[in-house]
Amino acid sequence: MKNFITIITSDYLQRTRSYAFLITLCISLVIAYTFIPSPDANYSTIRIGDYLGFYNSSWIGYVSALMTSIFLSLIGFYLVNGSIKNDIDSKIGQIIATTKISNFAYLFSKTISNFLVLITIAFVVFIMSILLFFLYNDGFSFEILQFITPYSIIVISSLFFISVLAVLFEVFLGQKSILQNILFFFLFGALAVYQPTNDENFYFDVFGTKIVTHKMEKTVKKITGKEEKSGLTIGFVLGNISNTKHFTFNGINFPPQFIVSRISWIAISLLLLGVASLFFHRFKIKERFQVRKHKKITLKTSTANNIDISTLPKTSLSFKILPLIKTEFLLLIRHGHKWLWILNIGGMIALCFTPISIAHQMVLPILWFLQVSRWSSLVTKERIYNTHFFTFSSYQPLQRLLLSQIISGILLAILLAIPLLFRYILQFDFVPAISIIFGGVFIVSFAVLTGMLTKGKKLFEILFFLITYANLNTIPLVDYFGGLHDQYSYLMGILVIVTLLLTMSYIVRNLELKKM
Amino acid sequence: MRLDIQNVSKRYNYKKYGLKEYSLSIEKGILGLLGPNGAGKSTLLKMIATISKPSEGIILLNKNNVIKDPNYMRKQLGYLPQDFGVYPNLNAYEFLSYMAALKGIGGNQLNQKINFLLEGLNLIEVAKKPIGNYSGGMKQRIGIAQALLNNPKIVLFDEPTVGLDPEERVRFRNLISELANDCIVILSSHIVSDIDTIADEVAIMKEGRLLSQGTQKTIVDTVKGKVFETIIAKEDIHNFANNHIVLNTIRKKDKITVRHISETGYGQHTPCTATLEDAYLYTTKK
Repeated sequence: MKNFITIITSDYLQRTRSYAFLITLCISLVIAYTFIPSPDANYSTIRIGDYLGFYNSSWIGYVSALMTSIFLSLIGFYLVNGSIKNDIDSKIGQIIATTKISNFAYLFSKTISNFLVLITIAFVVFIMSILLFFLYNDGFSFEILQFITPYSIIVISSLFFISVLAVLFEVFLGQKSILQNILFFFLFGALAVYQPTNDENFYFDVFGTKIVTHKMEKTVKKITGKEEKSGLTIGFVLGNISNTKHFTFNGINFPPQFIVSRISWIAISLLLLGVASLFFHRFKIKERFQVRKHKKITLKTSTANNIDISTLPKTSLSFKILPLIKTEFLLLIRHGHKWLWILNIGGMIALCFTPISIAHQMVLPILWFLQVSRWSSLVTKERIYNTHFFTFSSYQPLQRLLLSQIISGILLAILLAIPLLFRYILQFDFVPAISIIFGGVFIVSFAVLTGMLTKGKKLFEILFFLITYANLNTIPLVDYFGGLHDQYSYLMGILVIVTLLLTMSYIVRNLELKKM
Repeated sequence: MRLDIQNVSKRYNYKKYGLKEYSLSIEKGILGLLGPNGAGKSTLLKMIATISKPSEGIILLNKNNVIKDPNYMRKQLGYLPQDFGVYPNLNAYEFLSYMAALKGIGGNQLNQKINFLLEGLNLIEVAKKPIGNYSGGMKQRIGIAQALLNNPKIVLFDEPTVGLDPEERVRFRNLISELANDCIVILSSHIVSDIDTIADEVAIMKEGRLLSQGTQKTIVDTVKGKVFETIIAKEDIHNFANNHIVLNTIRKKDKITVRHISETGYGQHTPCTATLEDAYLYTTKK
């Protein structure tokens, strides 16, 4: 037991003692701040038609718990996914494989460590929600239980489920991180849209939010006396604050069966973990995943010949960046599995034949999101593959290498969007076409800056996922590729942001090179 | 071609130094850097390679301050880091072409040169296969090839023989000797045999400081007449080690042959011919 706790503690500390985690916490604080809009904000997070709850303890406690359950589950997967891969990359896995620890105990320790990371963030959000109650104090009394109850009953089992899911994906999908990301994206979508039709079905809602929103809807329906749809919206919805009316939400008395169902979700998760432990590779990666695909190359004669240095052909100086762009582009294209290109080609065909608005608003963001792993490694691959000794000692790494990386990233974005660009150009509709190009530049610049700031891929991957999710829910605030806007002024706005991102990237890399 | 390192320090925090007040000069030839792990060899090489900047001091190449103008060094540098990686999805041709582009070299003969290096390093038959599938020794050879791409005038090898088999090590040492005919070669290792056969000069480092520098002969002379072998009982070894600088021990049944340094010898001792390894161990242990 002591050893087990030591493993969990070490894993937790290793993951939280990083600059990237600090940034994640800061971003969580900012996001938590937005969960409860200020009384004069022009957006809402949870709203039932024209109705919003009074800012009493129940409303703030439950709304923030609901938003945490949904959004932390959404980004949490990307945040904690990869813990087994880290053990593979650091070769610690091979040491672990030789110890007494059972497969289940190892996977369980990874789950608990995932869970602790997520709970740490949830705790920060929880504290923020209490602070917001006092900040927006409307004269209501502070009731701590209205904060603790929803967090304990709703959030804990959601986050535990996500912690297990991250481990399960790693066990069954091994090194296929891109496939893991995509599958989770669709699985989450399916779980989120699940609508219980009667009270028993609330037990099947893994995020545990539907029972609360149902109660909110019922309360509003009582006030309005209307039985039709209440107009519940969850998420960051802009500009729907006119005619806002308020109602009193007093929380919910969770039925005992619902509490049992929440505990059952934890039990089901553990059961799934037990099944997964039977299939866990226990770090025999080569046997399980690679041998069939990549055979180690052997040479007929293993040693090097003698090199006569004096006869080496002479080369000349050449500071062209075209060869760099070519290789960077090649690296982007070859990143990940080949089957991903089948999806890409499918997406490009969909860009040709789906109605142009759907192609722009739905297909393009999904197609670009499929490249998340490629763009996130654009400026981080040097550290991932340990080639930074070569690249940072290259000739003019800032002016040549960084530029070529950015250009190759943009080329990939444009290449994928070509069918849609052609459709717009053939219609002489140039604003959306330019918006798409600017969108490509934006997402690449964003990947470059976040990669440099965190020296890792995770933050960009999480944020890109959130942005794409918001795009698919047609939230205009994150419309970086002009899917919902076709005005020149909007283009200018994107241009300013892109210029800012690129300038900051240049400054950050310059500082990085100077600080070495 | 002349490299001057003047009072260079690398400070990590107010009391921790990776390298402290280090100075040396080298013209054409091979300088072997010897030192235990953590001596600061890689830190020094990284600073010469312009990957890392000194906290104090200057590094001059042909009187040009390479801290202020790193590109002057980069244009003529060949560097093989201790622990480098490769892009596994590229093949050897693509990787070396990329390295050439990073170094700012091209021209009509570039492909010919890459072929020549791959042939010389016996990688030509696998040159079109992804490097990710190469063995450790083959990756090391790719590293050597990239270091030679730009006709370097200053070549830095940080623990270059790791992963090479004994025959390859010999060939690699020959290659370094040949390179040194018209460039500066700095070779770091904690394996004395990698250095003693080829280095014109040797610098011994410990805990970020230069302990001694000179030709092999001058360094070996510091222990000349002080190296002995003595046979002692097993149980006496701890007591012996506390009072002498022990260089090596060989177990033989219940006795131990101890190679040690002493001004006068100990018990029944046999004087030995001093080697660079003796001098190195003496310098770093005393």
